[in-house]
Parts: sequence; structure tokens; C-alpha cells
Amino acid sequence: MSEYTKPLPYPTIESEPFWEGCKRRELLLPQCRQCRGYWFPPGSTCPHCWSTEWDWTKASGRGRIHSFGVYHRAYHPGFEGEIPYVFAVIQLDEGPRMVSNVVNESPDKLECDQPVEVVFEDVTEDVTLYKFMPAA
Amino acid sequence: MSNLLGKYAIAGVGHSKLGKVPEMGPIGMFAVAARNAIADAGLTKADVDGLITRGPDDVYCHHQRVGEALGLNVTYSTSTDNGGASQVLGVAMACMAIDAGLCNTAVVGFGRDTWSRTHRTEAARKRVNIGIQNQGEFGPEFGWFGAPSNYAVSARRHMKLYGTTKEQLGHIAVAFREHASRNPNAFFQKPLTIEEYLGARMIVDPLCLYDCSIYIDGAAAVVVTSAERAKDLKNPPAYIMGFGFGNRLSGWFEESNMLTTGAKEAGEAAYRMAGIGPDDVDTAQLYDCFTQMVLLQLEDYGFCGKGEGGPFAASGALRLGGRLPTNTSGGQLSEGHTEGMLQIVEGVRQVRHEHGPDRQVKDAEIALVSGHGGNTACQSAMILARDAS
Ligand SMILES: [Zn+2]
Repeated sequence: MSEYTKPLPYPTIESEPFWEGCKRRELLLPQCRQCRGYWFPPGSTCPHCWSTEWDWTKASGRGRIHSFGVYHRAYHPGFEGEIPYVFAVIQLDEGPRMVSNVVNESPDKLECDQPVEVVFEDVTEDVTLYKFMPAA
Repeated sequence: MSNLLGKYAIAGVGHSKLGKVPEMGPIGMFAVAARNAIADAGLTKADVDGLITRGPDDVYCHHQRVGEALGLNVTYSTSTDNGGASQVLGVAMACMAIDAGLCNTAVVGFGRDTWSRTHRTEAARKRVNIGIQNQGEFGPEFGWFGAPSNYAVSARRHMKLYGTTKEQLGHIAVAFREHASRNPNAFFQKPLTIEEYLGARMIVDPLCLYDCSIYIDGAAAVVVTSAERAKDLKNPPAYIMGFGFGNRLSGWFEESNMLTTGAKEAGEAAYRMAGIGPDDVDTAQLYDCFTQMVLLQLEDYGFCGKGEGGPFAASGALRLGGRLPTNTSGGQLSEGHTEGMLQIVEGVRQVRHEHGPDRQVKDAEIALVSGHGGNTACQSAMILARDAS
């Protein structure tokens, strides 16, 4: 495997378990014990009801493309060989939205609200990224 | 708090050299802009007892650096942190500080060496990009790099829901460039055709080169004082009739925030304070980091309905002579990006009737000026008027 040249995530104390979950092929979301709401990105307080009692819950990994764009310019040398590439705001079935890539599909075939499902990609020995592809 | 309608005014405006100014830093340019604004008001250094500033994010206690450069001691000073919404906010803060008796005459301004930082050399350009992007998570690792992405997803979703077209967005860029062709300070003055717009290279599809604002070096500043005092100064005052804010801090991706922004709340508050509505506005100077943001604000400030921004822009409404001449300096898309500070300056010049006939909005009585930023969450709006009643 050649050296990975794209930016890697810099986890915080609050997001580390999320990234550990990715390594195990689990998309984890914080879920509130009080109001049962989910949120993303991770944080120590439920943004819905402000409870600090919550658990990491495995999400379905299913969602829809809320919207997306196609980069035609590499703002980082690691992406120079990738353009054009698709980034998207994914609306998860559980409610939260997250930024990711949509892979395994040509950009001009994609549409807003199209169903997608998560795929995991081990980009280095320590880091696994979550991405999405059109749902089967 | 008492109603501030018409109690305060912008008494002077100024800016530094704009565009490529490699010989000056951001604080130096700010000092020049402040000096010019104070002179434009017919005031002197001794009259200034308030200072509200914003500059590059990496300058700690920015107002202190500016005050130091100007050799200024004041009673009230601070730097603001709402991104491009800061500049209108700064003017409002000045009014509130004066109203509270904390100062009498405040300079509000912005200055940044954005062109030099990013374009002086190819190495500088790469360094800036990577410096920002190698931090953090939930973005850079997916190749999500900052502002263009936010407005690209907004535009795509708007297109999906309302049938907005690329060409309609193009009419915003074309109209502002047409205005810039009448502004000798504008970075790009060569008119742009809709064909050139549609043929331009994509940056982040659906946004192309001409959907993006222009990095420039530059600073601008205004002088805020009481309407009473402003009446007797060198230039006609631009009365501050209202202001308002909307900060959708939950985030751009949350709820419908990428389609209906805090400009809705900001506008409603500003109109309420001023006792007017969108139909009373003669010219708008809107925060145009990207064409898409103009489109959203046309809707959110009530100039057209939600989803109608595209046809409204394509109707020619934004051009000088149109229904709502907008960004009559060329805006950040063509004059250059100073985080909205030059929009305030242009709003003042329009209600003062300062321009020649080619750029002056005929009989302009009321201008709406907006700010937007802080990573998409913050909106600010202000109503300026030629008369205080
Ligand atoms: Zn909760």
C-alpha cells in the first residue's frame, strides 16, 4: 500500500469512540437516554434536551443524500489524483446529518434524496473512514 | 432598550487601497481606512472614543493592534468574531455603546491581506490551504474544504426543491460584474457574459469560478456617531434606521438552515426597528461570498418568495435600473471580499447620492446592507436611510 497522503481525522476526547467504532465496521451515534434523540458530530451534551446521560448506539448505516457537490479543484495535494470527487451531506435514517463521500457511482448519476448505505474504508493501519454508496 | 430608530448615523466612510497591496499588512491598511473615514466625517483623532474591529482570525486582540497603530486611547473597544456578519454587528454595537453612554464616536472597520496571504507566491497559496485543512475531523478527511462546499450543497438542494438553474445564479454574477465595470476600485471590471459564466471551470459543482468571491487585500471603515452630531459634519449622514441579527448556530446542515438562513430573523428585526418592509428598500448591498448566498438572502429578506430567488435574479431586478439594484459596487464577487465592510461603505454612498449617474441608484432613500459568516451561521442586517424620518 502506497503512503496515504490525504488529511486524516484529528479525533477529540469526545469523538475517539466514534472512530474506534469505524474500525469495527460500526457507525456509532450518541443517543440520549432521556429524550432518545441522536446527534452528530459527537459531543458530551444532548443538543435536544441537554441531558448528559447518553450511550453510543450503532446506527443502521442507511440514509439519503441530502445534498452533494463535486470538487473539480484539489485544495489539498492528496486529492490531486481524485478530482472530480463527490462529497455529500448524508441524512441518516436516525436523524443526524454528516459529511462524507459518495463512492462507487459516477457523480452525474447522483441525486439529492437518493438512498445510500455506509461502507468503511481502512485508509491506514489506525484509521478507518466511513463513506457512503448508493443503496442496493 | 429604547428604540434606536434614526438616533445614530454613519458620518464617514473610507477604505485603503484595494486589490493587490503587498506593500502593506492588514493593520496598516486598516489604519489608512480609519484615517480616511475620520477625515470623510470631518472629524479628527481626538473625536474618536470607540473602536470596533475585525481582521485576520490569527491576530490576537485585533482591536488592540489597530488602536496601537493609530495611537488611540478609547473608552470602548473590542474585536468581533461573527465572521462576515461582524461588520454590520460592529456598527450596531457602536450604536448601542453610544446609547449606553459608553462612547460618543466610534470607528468600525475590517482589514485583511487575503490576496497577499494566498496569492503572493504559489508556495504561500499551498501553505494557507494545507494549514487550514490538516486540522480537525468530519470534513478534511473527505476532501471537504471550507466555504465553497457549504454553498454548493445549498445550491444543489435549492435546485432540487425549487428548480433553480445554474443560469439563474449566473445572472447574479453578471449583474454585479456590470456594476463593477463602473467602479474603478473593483478587482474585476471587464464585463462578464452569461455565456462566459456558463462556460467557466467548475470549482465545486454546481458552483463555478464566477460563483465565488474574490480574495483581495484591503480595509474599510466607517464612523458611527449620534444623528444629532452627524447632521453638522462634513458629509450628509446615512441614518441607521434599524438592524437585526439571526444566528442559526445549530449549523448549516441542520434543519433547513442551508435554504432558509438567519437572514430571515435578521431582516424581520431590522425592518421592525425601521418601521419599513422589503418593498421600501431602494438598493440592497448583500453579503456575496458566493452567488448562492445572494439568492438565499433575496428570499430571506423578503424581496421575493422562498424558492423564487432564481427567477428574481434572472429578471434583471438586481441591475442598476432594475427593481432592486444590488451590490452596486460590484460586491465581493467583482469588487473584492472585505467581509462585507465595503457593502456598508457602498450603502452609505448610495443614500448620500455620492455617485455619478452611471452608478447612482436614482433617488435612493433606503439601503439594506447585510453581513453573513462565522462559518455560515451568522446573519446581520442594517437599514440605512437618507432621511431620519
Ligand atoms: Zn436528549
